[in-house]
Parts: sequence; structure tokens; C-alpha cells
Amino acid sequence: MTRDPTGFLYPFIESEERDAPALVHDLAASAQAKMADSRALRSATLERCEARVVQAGQAVAQRLGGGGRLLCFGNGGSATDAEGAVALFRNPPAGRPLPAMSLVDDTAVLTALANDVGFELAFSRQIIAYGHAEDVVVGFSTSGDSVNVLRALEEAARRGILTVGLCGYDGGAIAVSDAVEYCLVVHSDSVHRVQETQSALLMQLWTTVQRCMDEGISA
Amino acid sequence: MEAEDAQRSVEDASTALELASASLTLARRFAAGAVMWCVAPQWPAHGRHVAVEFVHPVVVGKRALPAVHLGGPDLRGALRLLSRPGDVLLAVSSADDHGTVDLLRRSEAWGLTRLWLGAGAPPASGLAEHVAWRQTPDAAYSGDIVLLYHLLWELTHVVFEHPGLVDAEPECTEQVCVTCADEGRVAEVRTVRADGTAEVVVGGVTETLDVSLVAPVLPGDLVLAHAGVAITTLSGTGP
Repeated sequence: MTRDPTGFLYPFIESEERDAPALVHDLAASAQAKMADSRALRSATLERCEARVVQAGQAVAQRLGGGGRLLCFGNGGSATDAEGAVALFRNPPAGRPLPAMSLVDDTAVLTALANDVGFELAFSRQIIAYGHAEDVVVGFSTSGDSVNVLRALEEAARRGILTVGLCGYDGGAIAVSDAVEYCLVVHSDSVHRVQETQSALLMQLWTTVQRCMDEGISA
Repeated sequence: MEAEDAQRSVEDASTALELASASLTLARRFAAGAVMWCVAPQWPAHGRHVAVEFVHPVVVGKRALPAVHLGGPDLRGALRLLSRPGDVLLAVSSADDHGTVDLLRRSEAWGLTRLWLGAGAPPASGLAEHVAWRQTPDAAYSGDIVLLYHLLWELTHVVFEHPGLVDAEPECTEQVCVTCADEGRVAEVRTVRADGTAEVVVGGVTETLDVSLVAPVLPGDLVLAHAGVAITTLSGTGP
């Protein structure tokens, strides 16, 4: 699982090397191949997950239509994915703005929780503070094993909050947790390809929510 | 559909080449001690994401590289204070984000190397040393922009495996080179003096410039400097 995707470029390590154009040529070829990989993984995953995303989108729309909020969280790059999801829902490029908030936004809350009760509880404590039964939580974890994300999903489930997980690899502990109602797994062992595809899945979820809410209004 | 694929392949090839040369530049700047300042006023999540990629690599054993996201209300003031000549500005934005465009122009005066990643209609040339763009309208959300900086990170680390190329300073082979050729350079006014001159920063270096042709100028204005004289004020700029 530790296969280095750039390994094929490494065999000719020479400190006297001076041929920059040749390196740039190789790098560009590698980048173009990765672009194709990323696009292929995204379209295959969107196709495989389409039915689940539509179901999840309908459920999310129902919650948000009933006064609920969307709460998003994750660690590292996944924290920024959560933040991006909140931006998409709350300040969409088109369509209706929807109430979404990030649990990685407030450094005072995060550092207080990390310092006093441990980072494992950084998100679940916020669910206890902010969560209502009509809400939705979306947890991002490329490994599927982030303990604080899993804890928050479990806490949310106990409170009747709709739970959505976005994971990579084989989905890890989150994919097999009873607490997670909709788990969307990107089957790849590249963190980067997983994150790119999670963005695409999230955008698909957002598109579905927008459509459901439009139909709900017109019905 | 086939025409679409062909078009996409052409776009991919040119973007890939741009990322490849940007990575070579970036590795060389890091090796020389640069910090990469990351800004994304429209999408702060992208600014934070690209910074964490470099600081805390996903591949165990890759070196941590100094990348810092800057956000908040006074990006210009923060970057002016924090950056040093030779540092790198990485901006993620659309081409029409005025704040980003302003930062890119000023960064030239401050002596920063500029990388610009973005989505939507592509920008005019000349605002950054390297520009990698995705023209699909939803690129900021679909994973396309994330892919650009993932590749930038990965390629930069590949360049580090070629130390002979990291240490080599790029030669000036362009037909027009701002360092060698006779053309105007962007300068930021720092202090205006009573004698028709001003202290300005150009290419990260403080110089005295004759500003009598463009008076009145104020601290923070951008002017085009040529042979010790400010020949025009750049529009849409100010303190």
C-alpha cells in the first residue's frame, strides 16, 4: 500500500545532472497521466455511488428543509474539504444558500477541546453543543479511521442527527460503523486521488440537494 | 464527445507542462530558503489545503516545506510585512478576483516569485511566472483545483530527487527578460519626498525614483519604473 506513484522517476538520481528540459518533460508526462487517473476515478466513483448520493441528497434536503443545519468536519486536508463543503452549501456559485457550518473553524474551541479533553473528542463535543435532531453531519476521513470523526458520527447518530461519511481506501472503521447512515467510499489508496474524488462526490450531493429543494418548493 | 476529449487532452498537456516548470521553479526557491505564502481569498479552504500539503506531506518521509496560508482582512499588509525577497506567492483564485490580481502585481515589486492556480476564464498573461488553469466553471468545487496543487506538491518533491537541477540557477534565455532588457518594472512607493523623488521597492530592493512625471503619488501606489524614473502609475492601485 506504500507504492510511491512517482518511483519510476527516481532511478537516475545524479547530483551532476543538468538536463532540466528532460526533467520538465518527464514531470509533465507524469502530471498528465495523473490528471487522466484522477478524472477516471472521479467519473467511475460518481457512477458507482450515484444511487447512494441521490438517496443521501434527498435525506439531506429533507433535513435542511425542516430547519436543520449541515455540520462538517475532518482533519488536515479533510478539514479543508469540510470547510469547502460549507462554503459550497452556504455561498453557492448558483442556487439557494443553505445553512452549513464547519467544526474546524473556531481555533479557540478546537484548541480548548484538544488541550482539555483530547483531540479524539474535538468534534463530538461540538456535536453535543451545537447538534439538533433535525441536523446533518458530514465527516471527512481519507483513511476512514480518524477517531475523532468516527466519535462525532457516533455522537450525532445517538442524537438522531443524519450522518454522512466520506472516506477513502476501504472505508475503514467509518464504513462499517452502524452510526453512519450514508457512507460514500472512494476506492483508492492515494490520499490525493481520494480527496479529489471526495470533492466531486460532495458537489454531486450538493447538486442533488439543490434539485430536491427546488422540486420540494414547486411540488 | 471525441472532440471534447481531444480538447481536454490539449488543455491537460499545456497545464501539465506549466505545473512541471512551476515545480522546478518552486523546488529551486525552496532550496534557496524561500517560504511559500498561500492565498485564496475566494476559497480560503484551498489556501489552507495547499499549505498543509507542503507542511505535512501525505507520503511519509517526504520533507516538510515552509508553506503558510494567509487569510483575513488585510492580506496585502500581512504579505508585505511577512514576505522576503525571493519568497514565493501561490495564489488560488478566479482571474477576475481584484484582490488577488493586486497582490500578484505588488509581489513583483516585493521580489516574490508568483504561481497562480485558478478556475474559470483564464487570466491575462504577465501577472505570474507560472499560471496553471482549469477552465471548467465548477473547477473550484469538482476536485480539479485540488488536483492542480496535489500535482504541484508531488512534482516539487520529484525535483528534489534531482539535486543537480535544484541547485542550478535558471539562465536568462527569454527574448524579453525584465532583469536584462530595457523595460519598465513594477515598483511600490514607500515614502514620497518633497524633491520630486520617492523611495520605492522594486524587485525586493529599495531604490530612489524620480516621480515628478507621475505626481502626485502616495505610499502604496504602484508605478512603472524605467531608468530611475516612474513613467506611469498603474491603474486601480493605491495604499
